Amino acid sequence: MLSQTHRIVLALLFGATEPLTKSQVDICLEEDIDLTQIIADLNQYLETEGLPVWIQLVAGGYRLMTRAEYEPWLSRLFQNKGKLRLSRSALETLAIIAYKQPVTKSEIDAIRGVDTSLRPLVEKNLIKITGRQEGPGRPLLYGTTNHFLEYFGLASLQDLPQVKELAEIAGEDNLQSDIVEQDATE
Amino acid sequence: MSYNVKLNVYEGPLDLLLFFIKRDEINIYDIPIAYITDEYLNYLQLMQSLNLQLAGEFILMASILIRIKVQMLLPRPETEKLDIEDPRTELVQMLVEYQKYKEIGEQLKRLEANQSRHFPVTLTSDQRNYDPELFLGDITLIDLGLAFQQILEKLPKVEPVNLEIMKVNIRQQILFIRECLKKRSRIRFSEIAAKLTDRLEVVVTFLAILEMIKSMEISVSQKDIFGEIWITKKKTIQDNVISNA
Repeated sequence: MLSQTHRIVLALLFGATEPLTKSQVDICLEEDIDLTQIIADLNQYLETEGLPVWIQLVAGGYRLMTRAEYEPWLSRLFQNKGKLRLSRSALETLAIIAYKQPVTKSEIDAIRGVDTSLRPLVEKNLIKITGRQEGPGRPLLYGTTNHFLEYFGLASLQDLPQVKELAEIAGEDNLQSDIVEQDATE
Repeated sequence: MSYNVKLNVYEGPLDLLLFFIKRDEINIYDIPIAYITDEYLNYLQLMQSLNLQLAGEFILMASILIRIKVQMLLPRPETEKLDIEDPRTELVQMLVEYQKYKEIGEQLKRLEANQSRHFPVTLTSDQRNYDPELFLGDITLIDLGLAFQQILEKLPKVEPVNLEIMKVNIRQQILFIRECLKKRSRIRFSEIAAKLTDRLEVVVTFLAILEMIKSMEISVSQKDIFGEIWITKKKTIQDNVISNA
């Protein structure tokens, strides 16, 4: 059974236009509640009742989302939306910005070895200009937006896919060369 | 008419090199540079034979590869061998760094695919794009007219601009300054300005002074910044000032 507090939080989730934060909920309820527990209860309730929605922790807040299995119908409702995917170069560029932010375009270009166009990502609101770097030319600095987190379903920047440490890649390569050597000796 | 053809996979020269490294199971830390340079140049040739314009970065990388190859071929004295840096080091670092972000990019792609299957229950602005054909059914011409009316009302109002006829001109003010300088050979700018009634007149008078300095009719001095400006008559008055002004 849901308590009144549970129902209020659910109502707030229905009404919020952006991921709902704990501080927002506290202000609305005028008390300090254990939101993590309430969200867990609500998610369990939504699951057991077989409802087509669930609550996701994304971009530092909670958001009511439809479940993946209803995607075919919703994508028809929204037409083309959701089918547009970012290109590989866009994803690479985002990866660099996400890890190295704040970062300049020339730093991004140096890693990718090509001239990178950042405007489309700014227009998609996935990255933003965060300032200027001190130094010659005072180049613009770029960082990821909140929408970036929402787009990839990340709770925070700490949830980014782990960077394989250089040593690890080196270790793998050694392993590979060991195998090659073994093959050669056989 | 130009066609923009992108060969399926390679985002740039680093990507292409990584492809060779993966395909041939090469140890990234011990790249057979002669072999990889040949592969790379063959690919560039293929692209050229297909009449594809090569991006400058691809050609730059070709020159880097050839330079490394040459450096590797140069014989080195036995004693120096340990001290000299492997000419491949910089390239390897670039490849490793790029590969790292390429992998993260691939992981982001999976996250994107995952997240795109969920829709926020409360619509965000990027989800409000309904299919127009599905939802425009109830819109009438009147609705359009009203919407247009609202836009017109929101537009900034055009305020009438009053244009005033200039009461003063530079020529007139030159005569005025000359008049002032008839009685005394040295006068303060503030004295002249005191006789003027509005800002525009002061500006025009100042321009007249500049004009008179140019024609060397007067000289001007000022002791400190924002200090008093003294206007002094020069001895030879050039009468062509007015016609120049």
